[in-house]
Amino acid sequence: MSKYLNLELKEINKLLKERKIKPLDLVEEAFDNIEKNKDLNAFITLNKDQAIKMAKDLENKEVDNLFFAIPIAIKDNICTKDLRTTCASKMLENFIPVYDATVIEKIKQHNMIIIGKTNMDEFAMGSTSRTSYFGPPKNPWDENKIAGGSSGGSASCISARLVPLALGTDTGGSIRQPASYCGLVGMKPTYGRISRYGLIAFGSSLDQIGPMTRNVYENAALLNILCGKDEKDLTSTRREKEDFTSLIGEDIKGMNIAIPKYFVTDIVEKEILEKFNNTVNLLKENGCNVEYIDIDYIENAVTLYQIIAMGEASSNLARFDGIRYGYSYENPKNLEELYSKTRQIGFGDEVKRRIMVGSLILSGENAKTYYDKALRIRDDIRKSFLKAFEKYDLIIGPTTTTVAYNLTDNLDDPSKTFLDDILVIPVNMAGLPGLNIPIGFNKDKLPIGLHIIGNEFDEKTIYKLASYIEKTLNLNLNPKGGE
Amino acid sequence: MNQYKTTIGIEVHAELKTKSKMFSDSANNYGKMANTCTNVIDLGYPGTLPTINEKAIELALRAALVLHCKINKVMHFDRKNYFYPDNPKNYQITQNRTPIGIDGYVEITINNVPKKIRIHDIHIEEDTCKSIHSNNKSLLDFNRAGVPLVEIVTEADMNSAEEAMAYLEKLRELLLYADVSDCKIEEGSMRCDCNVSVSKTETYGTKIEVKNIGSISNVGVAIDYEKARQISLLEKGQVLKEETRRFDDKTNSTILMRVKETGNDYRYFPEPDIPFIELTDEYIEEVAKNIPMTAEKRREIYLNNGISEVNVKKIIQNRTISDYLNKFINQNLNLVIASNLLLGDITAYINKYEIPLEKTALTDEKFIDIVTCLDTGKINSKIFKEILEDVMEQDLPVEKILENHGVREMSEEELSEIINKVLENNEQSVSDYKKGNERAIKYLMGQIMKETKGNANPNTIVEKLESKLKE
Amino acid sequence: MDKLSKEEVEHVAHLARINLEEEDIERYRIQLKKLIDDIDKIKDIKNYDEEMLITPVTFHSDLRKDEIGSMLDYKEAMKNVPASNGNFVEVPVMINE
Repeated sequence: MSKYLNLELKEINKLLKERKIKPLDLVEEAFDNIEKNKDLNAFITLNKDQAIKMAKDLENKEVDNLFFAIPIAIKDNICTKDLRTTCASKMLENFIPVYDATVIEKIKQHNMIIIGKTNMDEFAMGSTSRTSYFGPPKNPWDENKIAGGSSGGSASCISARLVPLALGTDTGGSIRQPASYCGLVGMKPTYGRISRYGLIAFGSSLDQIGPMTRNVYENAALLNILCGKDEKDLTSTRREKEDFTSLIGEDIKGMNIAIPKYFVTDIVEKEILEKFNNTVNLLKENGCNVEYIDIDYIENAVTLYQIIAMGEASSNLARFDGIRYGYSYENPKNLEELYSKTRQIGFGDEVKRRIMVGSLILSGENAKTYYDKALRIRDDIRKSFLKAFEKYDLIIGPTTTTVAYNLTDNLDDPSKTFLDDILVIPVNMAGLPGLNIPIGFNKDKLPIGLHIIGNEFDEKTIYKLASYIEKTLNLNLNPKGGE
Repeated sequence: MNQYKTTIGIEVHAELKTKSKMFSDSANNYGKMANTCTNVIDLGYPGTLPTINEKAIELALRAALVLHCKINKVMHFDRKNYFYPDNPKNYQITQNRTPIGIDGYVEITINNVPKKIRIHDIHIEEDTCKSIHSNNKSLLDFNRAGVPLVEIVTEADMNSAEEAMAYLEKLRELLLYADVSDCKIEEGSMRCDCNVSVSKTETYGTKIEVKNIGSISNVGVAIDYEKARQISLLEKGQVLKEETRRFDDKTNSTILMRVKETGNDYRYFPEPDIPFIELTDEYIEEVAKNIPMTAEKRREIYLNNGISEVNVKKIIQNRTISDYLNKFINQNLNLVIASNLLLGDITAYINKYEIPLEKTALTDEKFIDIVTCLDTGKINSKIFKEILEDVMEQDLPVEKILENHGVREMSEEELSEIINKVLENNEQSVSDYKKGNERAIKYLMGQIMKETKGNANPNTIVEKLESKLKE
Repeated sequence: MDKLSKEEVEHVAHLARINLEEEDIERYRIQLKKLIDDIDKIKDIKNYDEEMLITPVTFHSDLRKDEIGSMLDYKEAMKNVPASNGNFVEVPVMINE
C-alpha cells in the first residue's frame, strides 16, 4: 500500500492535479490505515461505501481546491446526513441524522471525503474519551495511555497518521487538551467563528467546532473553509473574509506575549514547565517581549465552567426522551417510566451525573446563586482577558498540567476530569481562540503542548506564532517515527 | 356576614399571524395533515438551533403597544425547562426576564363604568405540539410545535364573570384589529386560562386555575361555576388546595386535572443560542405607525358620522366591512347610507353567493356612485335592490347599469307633466289636502312615484308637489 | 464521609428524569456530593460585577424574514421515531392533560 497520506496536503494536491494519484488511492489508504490500527479504537462508524463511491465520483472532476479528495474524520457529535451519529452514547447508538451540519455542508462543497465518525467522550462530557459507550480510543504514542478528550478519537487518528484532517469540538478544552496529549495541532476558534448548526449541543455558550491537523498550515487552511456566518446559527459571526494562513512564516520579532502567572504555578508538572520555559526563552531570544500577568478569576474558571456547562447540558440533553428519535425504553408502563428508564439506560454515568447536578444548578433559587453568579463572573473573566489584549498580541501557557496518563488511572474521582482542563477552560469562558502546538516530549516520549490564546477573531496571529515554533523546533510528531 | 369577593386573573395565549414559525422557517398552518408542517428544528432534533422570525417580533410589539405596555428595548429569550411530550426539546423558548412588554392595561366598560385591567406582561414564546388522547396512548402532531405565540398575563384585577368576559372581548378586538392574531378560540389560536379565587377578606383566596375553555361565554360559565363551587366548599369548612381544573362544556362544570406541586420548578435560564434583540426607537415608531386603526378609533369615527350604535357594533364585529368602510372616511360620502348598504344588501349578497367582497365586481368608484345616488335621491333603495346583482357582477359603471335597467333621471318637464296628470285625476285628494288633511299628500306622492317608476328623486317630487298644491 | 441524603439524590434524579436503582443511589450520594462541593466554591467569590455574560457574542440577533423554507416530508419526520401510529408520534397517555 502506497503512503501518500503522510505527504503534506500541498504535495497530495499536486499529485492529484497531475493525475499521478486518484482520490480512490487516498481513500483506500485511509481505510487500510484504520484497519491496521483498529486497536486505537479511534472511530465509531466508518463511511466506507460512501467514501469509495465519492472517491470514484471525484475521479473525473477538476481538482479545484487544496482539500479536494482529502480524507477527513468527523467527531461523532457533528450531524452527518444518512451517516450514523452517536455522540458515543447508547442513546444515539442507531441515530441517523436527516440533515447535515453546516460544517459538513462546507466539507462536502470542497469535495473532501468523510472517512468516518470519531470516538469521543459520551456527549463530549469528559477529558479522556473513556466515557464513550464504544470504549476509549488510545494514544498512539503509548496505547496504555488516554488520548485525552473529549475529541480523543480525532486526536488519535491524526496523531497516528490514519487521515490528515479531523474535526473536533471544544467546550472546555476538548480539542486542545487531546491535541496536547497526542502531539498535534488543534485549534478552538473564537466562539461564533464557525457555525454550531448540527453540532449536538453540550454547553451551548461554550461549544465550538475546530480543526485538528498534523501541522499549522493545514490547520489554518482548514479553518478558512469552516468559518463564516451561518443564517441557521444566530451566534455565528459575520466577518470580512480573511486568510488565516496569511501571517504564517512572518517574523515574530517585537511580538508582545503575556503569561498568566496562574498557568505556571505548581499545578503544572515539572517536566512540562521546563519545556514551556525553554520555549519562552526561545521566543525571548527571537525578539519577543514576554511578561507575566494576572487575569481576574482565572483560578475560578473550572468552577464557573462546571456550573455553566452542567447547567446548559441538563437542558440541552433533556430532548433525549425516547419519543422522537434515539433509544427508547420498550413497553413503558406510563410516561414517567418512558422518560426515566430511557434516560437511565440510554445515558452513561458521567452524563447522568452532569445532568443531575446541572438540573440542581438551575432549580429554584439555585439558578441565582449558581448560574447567574457564574455568568456574572464569566463576564469579568472575559473583560480581564480583553483588557490584556489591549497590551499583548498573544497569551501563552502550557496546554495541560500533565502528560497523557494511564487508561486505568483516575477513574473514581468525578472532579478529576474537570481539572485535566484547568489551563484551557478559561478560554472557553471568554469565548477566545486557543491553539495547541506540540513543543516536545517528556522522558517517556509523551507529547507536551503549548497553548496559544489570541484576542477574539485574531486566529491569524496565533497561527503566526505557532508556525514559528513548529518550524523552529522541527519535532518529529509521527509516533511511529515516519517510516 | 361578609360577602365573598371573587378575584380573577387571566392568561391568554394568542397565535401570531405569520407565514412561518417562531424559531424555524417551516409553515405556520392550521388544519394540515398531521406532521407535514415540520422540520428538524420543530422536532427538536439534536444539533438544531433557533432563528428569529422578524414578523413575529413585529406583531408581538404591536400587541404590546396596543396594550399600552412599556417596551423592553433590549430583550432576550429564556428557556423554560419541563418534561412533557408536547414540548419537543423538553424546554420551551420563552421570555421570562425580559418580556417584550410590561405594565400595560386594557380598558373595559361595564354599564358605562370604565375599568382598567392591568397587564402584568406580554411575552413571546413558541407553541407546543398538539396531542390527541385515546385509552392508554397519546398521539402527537408537531405541526403546531413552534408556532409563534404571545402570552398576555393580567394582574388579578377582575371580580366577576362579566368583567372577565368584557376583558376577553376587548382583548380579542384589540389583537384582531391590530392584525396580530386571528383569535379563533374554536381553532385554538386564542386560548384562555383563568385563575379564580374567592375570599371574604382582603387576602386572596386559594388560586384555582381553569384551562381548556372553548369560548368567551364559557369563560363566564366557568367562572360562575368555580365561584359557586369554591364558596360551597368553604362554607362546608373545607380547605382549598391550589389546583388546575379543566372546563367541561358538556356539563358546564370544571373537572380536576392536577393538584399543583409545591411551586413549579421550571429551571429558567437565559437562552444561550439567541443573542440579545434590540428594538430601536425608530423601529418601535415604525411598527406603531403601521398598526391598523383600532376598533376604538373606528367606533368613534362611525358614531361621529351618525351611524347608529347598533350598526357600529355590527360593523366592528365584521372586520372586512369595517376596513371597506374606512376607505371612504373623509371622502364626503354619506357613511350612514354606506354602512346600511354594506350591512344590508351587500352582506346578504355575499352570504348568498359565498364570495368574499373583494372578489365581486364592486369597485370603490361604483360604491361611491351608488351611495351618492341614494343620498341625492337619484335612486331609491328599491331600485338599488334591482340593480344589486349587476353591480356586484358586471364590470360596468353604475350609470350604465342603471341605463340597462331603464332607470334614468326624468327631465323637469316630464315630471311636471306627470304631477299635473295625477292632480287632475285625483281631485278629491287635492281638496282633502287643501282642507288640511295632511295624509292626502302621501297618497298623491305614492301615485306620482308609481307613474315615474322610481325614475325621479323623491325630494324633488315633494318639493314640486307642495308648490303645485299651493298654487 | 460527606454524602448527600438518599432523598436529595432522588430529588435531582427526578428533576433530570433519570430512574435510579438502589445501588446507583449509594454511588451518587458520594459522587454528586463531590460535584456539589466543587460548584459550591462559587459561594466564596466576592466583588464581581453585575453584568452577565449570556453568550460570548456581543452583537444582536439577526432577524429572519417571514418566509416558508423547506420542510421534512412526513416519512423523513417519522424516520427516527421509535413509536408511531398512522401519521402520529405515539406516547403513553399524557395523564396531565
